Amino acid sequence: MENKDFAVFIMVHDRPENCYTYKTLKRCGYTGDIFLVIDNDSKSLEQYKNIYGNAIITFDKKSIINKYDSGDNSGDLRSTMYKANEIFNIAKDIGKKYFCIMCDDYYCLSYRYDTGSRVIKNRLDFVFDKIVDFYKSTNIKTIAFSQGGDHIGGFNGKFRRKAMNSFFCSTDRTFEFMGRLNEDVTTYVNLGAKGQIFCTFPFIQLDQKDTQVTGLGLSDTYIKTGTYVKAFFSVMYNPSSVKISMMNANNPRLHHSIKWVNTVPMIIDQKYKKCKLEQIN
Amino acid sequence: MKQINLFGQEFDPSKDEKKYSSKIEAPIYEPKNKKPHIMELVDKTKTHRLIREIDNSSLSYEEKTFLIDAAKRHNVFNYENIADYYAHSSPEMQHLMERSGLVIIDFEKAIEYGYVKLCNEIKKQYLEEYGE
Repeated sequence: MENKDFAVFIMVHDRPENCYTYKTLKRCGYTGDIFLVIDNDSKSLEQYKNIYGNAIITFDKKSIINKYDSGDNSGDLRSTMYKANEIFNIAKDIGKKYFCIMCDDYYCLSYRYDTGSRVIKNRLDFVFDKIVDFYKSTNIKTIAFSQGGDHIGGFNGKFRRKAMNSFFCSTDRTFEFMGRLNEDVTTYVNLGAKGQIFCTFPFIQLDQKDTQVTGLGLSDTYIKTGTYVKAFFSVMYNPSSVKISMMNANNPRLHHSIKWVNTVPMIIDQKYKKCKLEQIN
Repeated sequence: MKQINLFGQEFDPSKDEKKYSSKIEAPIYEPKNKKPHIMELVDKTKTHRLIREIDNSSLSYEEKTFLIDAAKRHNVFNYENIADYYAHSSPEMQHLMERSGLVIIDFEKAIEYGYVKLCNEIKKQYLEEYGE
């Protein structure tokens, strides 16, 4: 990696033998720093330490539960929201100005074009460097890789105003994930509606193990409430533009549905801005 | 149009380009020429319905005030119309719309040009990695 102040943080929980993302990053040629972030009361902590050694970073979830907006009073702390938010502080503490937050279940990272997806063989450093360079040159809040589901209905090269699952971030551009479940969607909708830019780069695709069939992690939480509760978090935060609909995938389930024209302010060329502020006053 | 390469083989220089020709599309909105009516910027139908119910209730003033504030969460903004409106507005109105995050200005085309550059770099890398 040319960007030495960059690292990947993988949020892990109770599946030490199956940290797919770690293996995938290595397989695709990533040579930069990787850290695995885990609650300090995880029953698998020792196993993680045995496998990943110094790459493990712990945090005390119980001490930060009131710091972030979980959006409910269930008392259920099983959420990646806490970890994702705390990673901004961890990155700052260890001097990583730029970083990518990832889940632990990515089994493939690919180039994606209209001809399909093809695995990144060994140049993931290059991909990360270019994305970080682009990120630095703009005021975008976060950039995500696309997922297979983004391309249903036909691939296009559109830079979409959403960010799920993987997040290129900076300690200089902090934001807060909100809501115990569906926090990625709720965050890009809620903050996107206030003029912050969250987006997905379509030409790189991550593939993860199917929701609700992976075992451990948060799968049992989703199975228990059938994604009904999960999807409704986003409606609760932004009732004017998010609805619930049925996702007819292999595993039909309730899902959020976003009306984009009512969600995010448009990005327009500077030429439409008539004059500078000082000219008004 | 077909051409002959150094090895005397026929090839179509645009073929590879076409194969990976997914249109690169930065999320830049082009405002329309017509300024929409200001009433077209936000749909308050649901909000008004809720407020009528709140007004007809026997709740306290404080509770009604809270519920009316909450009802405004159901205002449906149309950001395309808002961008169209911005493009035809006075500098003062534009400034306040920007302050409220109703439009985002792509200064010096940082997003548009940066995105195209990124796409091209990744495509080049892909073609090199797969020897195509």
